[in-house]
Amino acid sequence: MRDEIAVLTDYVRKESGFKGTLDPDADLLEENILDSFSIIQLVVFVQERFGVELDAEDLTRANLGSLSKIVALIDKRRAGANS
Amino acid sequence: MLTSVPKFLAHTAERLPDKVAIVSAQRSVTFQQLHQEALATAEALSELGIQAGDRVGVCMEKTVDQISVLLGILFANAVLVPILPRLKSANIQHIIANSGMAAMITDSERLKEVADFSSMTRLVIGHGELDVNWPNLPYLRRFVQARTRFDRIPNDSAAIIYSSGSTGRPKGILISHRNLADGADIVAEYLGTCEEDRIGCVLSFNFDYGLNQIWQTVRKGATLVLHDLAFPNDFFALIAKERITAVPVMPVIITKMFDKRLKLDLRAHDLSTVRYVCSTGGRLSTDMIADVKGAFPTARIFSMFGLTEAFRSTYLDPAKLDSRPTSVGKAIPDCQVLVLDEKGDECPPNVVGELVHRGATVTKGYWQDPENTAKVFRSHPRFPGETLVYSGDRVYRDEEGLLYFVARADDMIKTKGFRVSPTEVESEVVRHPEIVDAVAFAIPNIAVGEDVGCAYTTVSGRPLAEPVLVQYLKEALPSHMVPVHLLHFDSFPITGNAGKLDRKTIKQAAFERLGLSSTSEASPRAGA
Repeated sequence: MRDEIAVLTDYVRKESGFKGTLDPDADLLEENILDSFSIIQLVVFVQERFGVELDAEDLTRANLGSLSKIVALIDKRRAGANS
Repeated sequence: MLTSVPKFLAHTAERLPDKVAIVSAQRSVTFQQLHQEALATAEALSELGIQAGDRVGVCMEKTVDQISVLLGILFANAVLVPILPRLKSANIQHIIANSGMAAMITDSERLKEVADFSSMTRLVIGHGELDVNWPNLPYLRRFVQARTRFDRIPNDSAAIIYSSGSTGRPKGILISHRNLADGADIVAEYLGTCEEDRIGCVLSFNFDYGLNQIWQTVRKGATLVLHDLAFPNDFFALIAKERITAVPVMPVIITKMFDKRLKLDLRAHDLSTVRYVCSTGGRLSTDMIADVKGAFPTARIFSMFGLTEAFRSTYLDPAKLDSRPTSVGKAIPDCQVLVLDEKGDECPPNVVGELVHRGATVTKGYWQDPENTAKVFRSHPRFPGETLVYSGDRVYRDEEGLLYFVARADDMIKTKGFRVSPTEVESEVVRHPEIVDAVAFAIPNIAVGEDVGCAYTTVSGRPLAEPVLVQYLKEALPSHMVPVHLLHFDSFPITGNAGKLDRKTIKQAAFERLGLSSTSEASPRAGA
């Protein structure tokens, strides 16, 4: 979990040039950390990097709006795949 | 006579007081409420010292409050100046100084970014929390007596919209109340926008196309549903839930809506309410058209074309989209499009000339820029006493009278719905201490219109590490201006005289290295 947040934080910093402290619970779009293009890019990265496949119903702002939400969804999908 | 947006709203608020005008995730307002909010905003602005003719900037996110502010400025007899929130501060500074901005209205969350401008203009909060340092319009609205003070005639200035030019800083395009009103009437006429329509608005209100959705809504008594497009599934869910009938988009929005890297389940949503999809800001590819048709099989698809100086010039009859997908169509109602050769004579079919626009949507010219105004806003001997817009766009007409876009006269890059000036990109790139020269240009990419490409030479003669250079540029430029392709050249060729960079050869070499064919020549002959 911690590792994933670190990987995502790193990615967001690199992609957006964001310099401040990145709260995992911050809404990435509302706080202007990412724009609508780069958040989709982040979701594509997440699927490749963590080897999870997100379904149509997963791909909403409610599920993917912040780093902690993204990590929660990764966990959920992984748990689903193992069961 | 309904010759201005304030008159539209007053009229519709009386006719349909309880009909919902604007819907957003946070709140919704009826036409009566919207009218009262706009009047109260105007009153508050005037009590803050804003006078008739003053330029008032709006740098806000898309909210109901933003719409109240935009309309309130018009009701205050002031001139609206939209500012893209993502612009870098040098550009905002230019717009504040160039327009002589009396006040800039912003969101409380954006205050940190714009506080530096408080020495140049007055800052006012238009949406968000109270802050003791700055006046807050939603708060002040509660204490003023809402009454009508609007007294502009249709010719008076209503807005200045800044648009990047190929050289130097963005130019302000001066727009009258009548321009805005006619733009709403004309577009509503050919799209058939009516009271029953529910417009799903993902566009921002920082440019003419987005703003026109508000004007059409208050003209026709339609309902405008606001949405920020990020995840396509959210937008499709909104269309179904809100029973959206009209979807105004741009090519880049279609690309986002049908992003092939994401799973989409269109069958999960009932999209059958959508009656039309309209698009402007670039050509629609056959894939885009197929995607839109797949999602909205019964919707009419309008492909439209124009430039801010004349708002909108043409649209293609949806019935011709399949047989003539590359055409930009014919002139919009109440306007005429001429294809002129260098002597000012009409070109015969299939001969390329300049698109010249005449009619209701011709704006007033460039703000305080007589030199550039004289170049674009000109008369023609056949139409005495009239001002036409000489667009610089190269087009031709086929035997049927349908128009086709060939090229722009300038070398502006159109990417993701923005006009990017190569000069602006280059001037940032060469600020890098290792970089000597830079040449920016457009690289075709139909998904976003064009990509920004940039060739550069270095002091050492060695290429720079691309990720580091990109990082550097991301800090200096708005994201849509950061080059997607960066190409290192050992040296740049120079044109024979004056030691100027040979941009054409540089661009050709760059295209070869990217494995692209050089700018393809259109088949029709060039005009005499």
